[in-house]
Amino acid sequence: MAGSSQRESWGEWVDRHSGTFFIAPAVTLILIFAIFPTIYSMFFAMSRVRFTGDGLKFRFVGFRNFSKQFFGTDQVHFLGRTEPVSILAMIIFAVIVVSVLVWLYRSRKIATWVGMLGRTVSASMAIFLAWVLCASLLSGNSIGTLYTTLFYVLVGCGIQFVIGTGLAFICSQPIHGKNFFRVIFFIPLMVTPLGVGYAMKMIADITKGPFEPLLRLFGIENWVWSADAWSARLVMVVGDSWQWIPFIFICMLAALENVPQDHVEAAQVDGASSMQIFREITWPQVVPVAVTVLLIRAVEAFKIVDLPNIMTGGGPGTATESMTLHSLFVWRANDMGTSAAIGYLLLIVTVIVCASFFNYVVLGRLRRTKA
Amino acid sequence: MADGSPQVSVKFDEVQKSFGSVKVLEKFDLLVEPGEFLVLLGASGSGKTTALRILSGLETPSAGQVYIGDRNVTDILPKYRDISMVFQSYALYPHKTVAENIGFPLKVRKIEKALVDSATLDAAKQVQLDTLLDRYPRELSGGQMQRVALARAIIRRPSVFLMDEPLSNLDAKLRGYMRAELKHMQETLGITTIYVTHDQIEAMTLADRVAVLEKGVLQQLATPAEIYNNPVNLFVAQFIGSPPMNVVHGSLEGNHFLTNGAKIETAVSGRVENGILGVRSEDCAIAPPSDKTLNGKIYTTELIGDHTLVTVDWGTDQIVVKASKAFDGKQGDNIGVILPSDVLFVFDEVTGYRIR
Amino acid sequence: MSDASFKFEKSGRSLMERLFEPPAIGKMSLVAKIVAYSLLAIWSVFVLFPIYWVIITSFKDAAAVNQGPFYIPFFDFQPNLDAWRAQFNIDRFCDLTSILRQVYLLVHNSFVFVVSPVISLNPMELQICKIYLAFTNSVVISVVSTTLCVAVGSMAAYALARVQYKPKFGNILVFVALLVLVIVATTYAGVPWWASSTVALAMFFFLVRSVGRYFKMRLGNNDILFWIISQRILPPIVVVIPVYVMFQAVGLLDTHLALIILYAVANLPIVVWLMHDFFANVPIELEESAQLDGATRFGIFWGIVLPLTRPGLAATTLLILVLNWNEYLFAVFIATVKVQTMPIMVAAKNAGEKGVFWWEMSAIIVVMIIPVIIMSILLTKFISKGVLQGAMKG
Repeated sequence: MAGSSQRESWGEWVDRHSGTFFIAPAVTLILIFAIFPTIYSMFFAMSRVRFTGDGLKFRFVGFRNFSKQFFGTDQVHFLGRTEPVSILAMIIFAVIVVSVLVWLYRSRKIATWVGMLGRTVSASMAIFLAWVLCASLLSGNSIGTLYTTLFYVLVGCGIQFVIGTGLAFICSQPIHGKNFFRVIFFIPLMVTPLGVGYAMKMIADITKGPFEPLLRLFGIENWVWSADAWSARLVMVVGDSWQWIPFIFICMLAALENVPQDHVEAAQVDGASSMQIFREITWPQVVPVAVTVLLIRAVEAFKIVDLPNIMTGGGPGTATESMTLHSLFVWRANDMGTSAAIGYLLLIVTVIVCASFFNYVVLGRLRRTKA
Repeated sequence: MADGSPQVSVKFDEVQKSFGSVKVLEKFDLLVEPGEFLVLLGASGSGKTTALRILSGLETPSAGQVYIGDRNVTDILPKYRDISMVFQSYALYPHKTVAENIGFPLKVRKIEKALVDSATLDAAKQVQLDTLLDRYPRELSGGQMQRVALARAIIRRPSVFLMDEPLSNLDAKLRGYMRAELKHMQETLGITTIYVTHDQIEAMTLADRVAVLEKGVLQQLATPAEIYNNPVNLFVAQFIGSPPMNVVHGSLEGNHFLTNGAKIETAVSGRVENGILGVRSEDCAIAPPSDKTLNGKIYTTELIGDHTLVTVDWGTDQIVVKASKAFDGKQGDNIGVILPSDVLFVFDEVTGYRIR
Repeated sequence: MSDASFKFEKSGRSLMERLFEPPAIGKMSLVAKIVAYSLLAIWSVFVLFPIYWVIITSFKDAAAVNQGPFYIPFFDFQPNLDAWRAQFNIDRFCDLTSILRQVYLLVHNSFVFVVSPVISLNPMELQICKIYLAFTNSVVISVVSTTLCVAVGSMAAYALARVQYKPKFGNILVFVALLVLVIVATTYAGVPWWASSTVALAMFFFLVRSVGRYFKMRLGNNDILFWIISQRILPPIVVVIPVYVMFQAVGLLDTHLALIILYAVANLPIVVWLMHDFFANVPIELEESAQLDGATRFGIFWGIVLPLTRPGLAATTLLILVLNWNEYLFAVFIATVKVQTMPIMVAAKNAGEKGVFWWEMSAIIVVMIIPVIIMSILLTKFISKGVLQGAMKG
């Protein structure tokens, strides 16, 4: 049929614009329920918000909700106690500042000006965190929710990575029942965190938990782990690790099994021992996955809230409060502005730390292997 | 050998291998002479790669023993067998440079760095790679990668070389060049080499002796010439030679082969009800149809360049004859094929054995 | 020319090497086996013990719990169903006939909800056994939310794999600027939200048409993909307070729909990340030949691509189902009274109870975690088949 140039049917018009229609729902949902609230939250953070008869009333207060956390009434809750500062802490702080500045100086030559901007931001965050660490923990003072969260992230992810990779290495050897272990080891990842928390709380109980005879043996049956800040935090890390080591395990096992069999066999014929094969052949090929897995885990770890809530309620005092939990409690106290501010601080810390890790470690590796 | 150390033999003694209920290698006996270039030839699934892997130590046999020299190495790890292997995929370590790849076998033995470096340079020079020592495998061409694998294999001067279809990933032209290089290198170094391939041209050109395998059973072990001119059964006869040997079905009575009403005189005599007559394309000739020739119609002609392949219909079989490049017959023409008795092979169709 | 042939003798090995060296390829030395299996056994005990403990605690009575730890049922203590009976007998609606009636009520109310834009029916009052209510809420919200999330996410992932998008960076900045203006107007100047939104939307289209022509810089598919996946970095706590206010304004607070939408958005990045990989691996020739035959894009998506990626789709669905089931933060902000999911029920009981009634809590927790344990076993079967391999590399 020559020149059937009728107007295209409705179906054809939809198909021609299918690109838009396919992606529109996702983009719309994210815009309305993620992007918009994030921006809106900034307004909460910069206001004093109150519920009145006909809705919400916002009163602009600038950065006061934020500065409260650093200099004002909430400083101890958020940052921890920062005085007195010990000499040792000052020395360590000086060392850290110098190394960060040296790194920044050396980067001048390899980064664009946008890159330098990013590096300055990372450097500032690093120096700030170092100062808080030195002033609070290293001086023998207590730490606040900021560092509690960082403790969960850094110490937790570190332990989880080492144990998870170790288990994956064992399971990549020729052992029987590999699939059985895979199934069993995967379960904790999927168990509801609240359930995990409660189970751990019951188990860790001194008088009624299963370890009671053991504790009695060691004569510490009167020690209550939940009354000491650091033991409580450690128990939190144990619970978190129970849940998240499977994630590292599964990903690293997949990576280890993806190393081509040929390379391992060639190394075996060449005369390498198992340790040498792992160090020289397997591990370098697995490192890209390892850093990615670590990054994903770290991003999730910043958000921790279920476990501290149900195991200790944030206690003793505020020792085990993560920043999310801190924000939740503040919201329950009807101070929505401060709650939003703390949420934003968490966002900033998460983004800068994770983006720095991603940029300098993950991409750095990629750049090195491509060069 | 070139460096003065003695050449070693390799022996498979009744080696068997099964994976579950699948028998991959059956009662495999093979003695490789010191310094020999032996090719294991067969189709995929014939067991040739399994035999090589058992020799390398990457697999353990279900039964039987393996000897390298006088040592029984059946239960010994690959690294103690003093062997090197070139894999089909080269298995170059992607995150190490060419120099580090080549030097790896020495590095894991904790040899001092200076010695490792000089040995690496030597090996690289032997395969003409000394200018590429700082590259990474992903920056190399197929032929270069293959030479790195070779250098890595020779750096240790092992007693035995094992090669698993090393040329199959190269294009045809490069393959021909590398064949010559390999042969020259083996001759120079004098190391006993076991080479696995499915390509009969590689077998013919490279081997001192060829071991033909099919379905885990050794069919024939002989020199290339012997295998070509004196195949022991139908499988070997058809596997070697390009184009493949012609087969004509019929029966053998006395010293005449009866097929489709024709009676062809053979050099052997016997009585075989289901027989196969085999003849190579270059041994028969095209002639005008007569009563001294086998007469049929031309199915097709193919000009190769220096000769023409003429396919002639004969009953249910076809006979491919090498004719001169000037042959001008066409599809459907009547044509005759001359079959001299001294070039004919007769096989028993049921057992595959050659009638002598 | 190098002289020595570098032999490798057995005698030159260190003690560690001798202990751990395998006797043959594919086997492990005895010492290595002992070490490996012991470590795996220790970890297995560590993994299974808490679950075991919770399960047996749910079968203990008050005495068995309070008088010190008992480990083995029938041996140390007598198991009984106190805890389970307590859960299911709190109110009078927990026997079999009531539960059946509740199923009928649920179906009826779902039907009412679905046809509500068109016909107006009255939902019937639900009289429900508390744990059953929480369980049903969890099931309904998880399933519907997962379906929505996977549907929307797969479509977006497929589009990102096949269609080239080139949005102008300038337009995006304009959009964000207008968004900020809307918020300023609504919160500080008291303009009603529907008015400011409509005006802003109109301004957006106008500006894109007029000024948009001058914007040159464009973003690509990878940027969009990165943007979607990076939403995962957003801590939910940042989002939840404005969302609370938003839902309150439209009256959707404390409803199933609110949680369904929120969970879908929260897990969208994961679905897009995983499915994008699967779709990119489908050979494009299959789709091209279907296009030549005249199929529409949706037809290709539904009829060719999705069936090919069924294992990946199934694995992703299971994963999201589990994540939705376990979710706590959004639920605790948005839906705590009328619509309780299982985690909320657990948290509420934990916070408000009259003492440590561990056996009752254990029973609830067992009900909460059994479904996800089953789903995780299914998911492992998928993972061990290498379904999610590609995503690992991504």
